[in-house]
Amino acid sequence: MRAPFTWAGFRRGFRVGLALGTAIFIYGVAFGLVAAQAGLGWGWALAISGTVFSGSAQLAAMSLIPAGEATLWTLAATVLVINARYLLFGATIQPWLSKAGPMRAYASLLLIGDANWIATMRAAEKGEEDRAYLAGTGVPLNAAWLAGTLVGVLFGGILPDPRALGADLMLPCFAAAMMAAMVRSRAALVPVAVGAAAALLVTRLAGNGWGIIAAGLAGAAVAALTARPGVLR
Amino acid sequence: MTPPLWQMLLVMAAASLFCRLAGYVAMRFLPPSNRLDAALKATPLAVMAGITAQALAAGGLTEALALAAAIGLTVVTRSDVGAAVAGVGVAASLRALGL
Repeated sequence: MRAPFTWAGFRRGFRVGLALGTAIFIYGVAFGLVAAQAGLGWGWALAISGTVFSGSAQLAAMSLIPAGEATLWTLAATVLVINARYLLFGATIQPWLSKAGPMRAYASLLLIGDANWIATMRAAEKGEEDRAYLAGTGVPLNAAWLAGTLVGVLFGGILPDPRALGADLMLPCFAAAMMAAMVRSRAALVPVAVGAAAALLVTRLAGNGWGIIAAGLAGAAVAALTARPGVLR
Repeated sequence: MTPPLWQMLLVMAAASLFCRLAGYVAMRFLPPSNRLDAALKATPLAVMAGITAQALAAGGLTEALALAAAIGLTVVTRSDVGAAVAGVGVAASLRALGL
């Protein structure tokens, strides 16, 4: 039996995506500016934003070009390392998303990012049955990312300060709020404490990207070790 | 010697696509168990806590107040999206005041 995949579910996700879109747009402008400085035209910048669709990875890749360090190997390694957390996102959303059927699931995965993974995991936990929710959150984010990229390449000089608008705190505020909503028992505080501690430790040693991966893996490991063994259902 | 743009684009797109799909595909080969189920359930909370902790550690009073607002308003209003947007608003307002 396939789960529902309807416009109603898409619209529910879309509304949350719109709330996230402003911050994504501003970071898109920042990427567009950096891409223009690296010598890329608007077409190439849009092509990268459309296919890579990851702010941190794209910015890191662009920094390799003016430094003269851009080879196919360094670019691939940079994107793989910075986007490695997406492996966790894909794995954790699989039990829920796979019920949409393969075509819809894979198409939806193309639109996944940090913020809408968080929003969709929260929605799924709350009982969202409609698998179009993820695509609904992803479309406005992708549109905002592409629009921001274009604006950044063409009018990079009028870049708004992301900090002044609070855009740098959009993802943390969403994470904090949805975490608060999902902590309903004392037991749920265990992954919260483990994740925060692992992130703080590893971020200091290896940077933000690895800090997030460490948080997810540490939380998963503690939960697996403390769960009752056995085959599910 | 910088490679042609189309090759760079292709490599970056492929690497990004791999990261988006591989974790999902790998799950099909893991046998279901209580331990795996518990791990998958705990991961989002741990990642959310990790992102929050990173922002707290990197920020100062303004960032702490914004995150506290997002958490506090979620608990009070039960509207997580509204609370998150309000948290961003708190940060933007405090920074406009020069904090």
